[in-house]
Amino acid sequence: MWRIDTSTTAGQVFIGLIVLGFLAFFVGMIPLMQALPPRGRRLLIGAVTFLAGAIFAAEFFLPVDKKGENWLSPAIEPAQSTLQIINALALGLGTYGLMRLHLRNIVQKRAQWGYSVVLILAFLAMGFFSVWNTLAEKGELPKTGFLNKGFGLLFDNMYIPLDAAMFSLIAFYIFSAAYRAFRIRSIEASILMFTAMTVMIGIVMLGNIISYSWLGLPVEQTPEMEKNPFSPANIAYNLALPRVAYWILQVLNAPVQRAIEFGVGIGGLAMAIRLWLSLERGVT
Amino acid sequence: MENRTFWQQMLLIDRRILYMILFANMIIFLLVPVKVKTVTSPPVRKFYDTIEQLHPGDMVMVSSNWGAGTIGESLPQFEAVIRHLMRKKLRFTILSFEPQARDISLRFATRFTKEGGYKYGEQWAHFGFMPSPAVAIKGMVKDLPATIKQDVKGIPISQLPVMRGVQTLADYKVVIDVTPSGTVSAWISYRPQNLKVLFCPTSVMAAEAYTFLDSGQVAGMLTGAIGAQEYEQLLGIEGLGTSFAKAISFSHALIILFVILGNIALFMSRRAQGG
Repeated sequence: MWRIDTSTTAGQVFIGLIVLGFLAFFVGMIPLMQALPPRGRRLLIGAVTFLAGAIFAAEFFLPVDKKGENWLSPAIEPAQSTLQIINALALGLGTYGLMRLHLRNIVQKRAQWGYSVVLILAFLAMGFFSVWNTLAEKGELPKTGFLNKGFGLLFDNMYIPLDAAMFSLIAFYIFSAAYRAFRIRSIEASILMFTAMTVMIGIVMLGNIISYSWLGLPVEQTPEMEKNPFSPANIAYNLALPRVAYWILQVLNAPVQRAIEFGVGIGGLAMAIRLWLSLERGVT
Repeated sequence: MENRTFWQQMLLIDRRILYMILFANMIIFLLVPVKVKTVTSPPVRKFYDTIEQLHPGDMVMVSSNWGAGTIGESLPQFEAVIRHLMRKKLRFTILSFEPQARDISLRFATRFTKEGGYKYGEQWAHFGFMPSPAVAIKGMVKDLPATIKQDVKGIPISQLPVMRGVQTLADYKVVIDVTPSGTVSAWISYRPQNLKVLFCPTSVMAAEAYTFLDSGQVAGMLTGAIGAQEYEQLLGIEGLGTSFAKAISFSHALIILFVILGNIALFMSRRAQGG
C-alpha cells in the first residue's frame, strides 16, 4: 500500500509526479508561510507537527496482527526515510549557510577573513578528494596515484591527527580542573574524591601493581575462599584495588545510572509530548 | 610582590606548567617499555569468551561508529577485535552509522585484514554508512540485502561470497559495537533475540553501560584503551592498547598525586593564615 514499484515505467512516472508535486507544494508553501500572520503560521506548523508525530504514535498503539503489524506499520519505514531526507536537506542547508558566511567574510574583508579562505580551501579540497575516492572505491572513477596521495595526505596525515589532537586536549583540561576542583571541603566531596581515586587507580595497571605486586594480595579466588567468604584470604582477595573498583562500578554505579536513565527517559517523554503538541516556545 | 609560601604557590600554579607535566608524563610512559601483567576484568573476560565460543565461519557484525576524535581509545579496541575475529576464522561485516566512521574503519580494516590474510568479499566486507541506526537495524532484521543493498565498492551484497546463507540479522551470531556514541541502545532495542551484543565504548561512556552488562543485554565490554590492553593480553599480542594503557595508567597516577598535593597545599595555606 505504501510502496511504489519503480521497476515499471508507470511506477517511475508516478514517483516522478509525486516528487514534482511535493516540490511544487513546498515551493508554494514559502509565500503562503510568509503571508500568514504569526498565529496562523504557528497553527499550521503545529498541525503538521502533530500529524507527523501521530503516525508514529498511532502505529505503536494500534492493535497488531500475528506478524506484529497493523495497517500503519508499512508506512513507518517510508516515514523514517523521509526523516533522513529532511536530515540530508539540513546538511545541505548547513553547508550553504557556512559557505555564504565565509564567502561574505572574504568579499567584505572582515576581521580574520584569512581563516575563511583556509576553511573554504580545506572544504573544497577535502570534498573533491572524498567524492573522487568514494567513486573510485565503487569503480566508477579511476584510482590513480594522485588520488591516493591527495586523499592520504588530507585524510590520514591531516584530518585524523588534527581531530585526535582536538579531542585529546580534554585530558589537559581535566588534569588542570581536577587539580583545582577536587578539594576536601565537605564530607560529600571527600567521599566523591576517594571513590573517584579508587576507581581511577583500580581500573588501570597501577592498581594491579599496588595490589598484587606490592601488597601481595591473592589474584585468584580459590574454591576454599568461596566457601568461607569471611576468611582473611577472601577478604584480602576482595580488597584488591581492581576488585574494589569493579565493585564500585557494578554495585554502586549501575543502580544510580539506571535511576538517572529512568529520570532522563521520563523527562524525554514529557519533552517529546510538549514538542509533538507544539507547546514548546519558538514554533512560529 | 608579597612573599608566598611554597604551598601558596602550589595553589596558584600556572595551568601551562600542569599541561607540560602531563605531556612529559605521557610521552615518557609511551616510550618506556614497562611490562605489567594485569588481571582481566570480568567484562573483558566475558567479551573474550563470547568470541571464543563462536565457530569458524560464523557471522559477526562490527558496528564501527568512531571517528578520529576517539582514535586513542577506539582504534586499539577495533584492532584487537578484528585480530581476534581473524584468528577464530570468523566471517565479519562492518557497518557505520557515522559518515566519518565509514572511511576510518574501512582504511584500518583494510590494513588489518591484509596483514591477517583475509580477502575482501570472501571473509569480510564493509557495508559503508547507514543513517539512522534504528531504521537500519529494523530493516536488517527483516531483510538484510534489501536494506543494505550494496557494499562500499558498489557490489550488491547478495553477490558477496561472505554473505552466503545470510538473509537477515538473525543469521549473525554477534554484533560488536565500537562506538563513542549511543548506538548500542539501538542494537539492544531492535536486534533479533539470538544476536549477542558486545560493546566497546570509550572510558567516559563505560559507566552508563554497566546497567546493560548487569542485565545481560550486553554480553561483554572493553572499556577504552584499558579494556583493549586487557583484551590484547588475553590474545597474547602487544598492540596499541598495551602502549596506550601505560600512558593512561601513569597519567591517572599523576592526576591523583596532584589532587593530593592540591589538598595538602590548601590545608597548609589555611593553617599558615590561621584559618
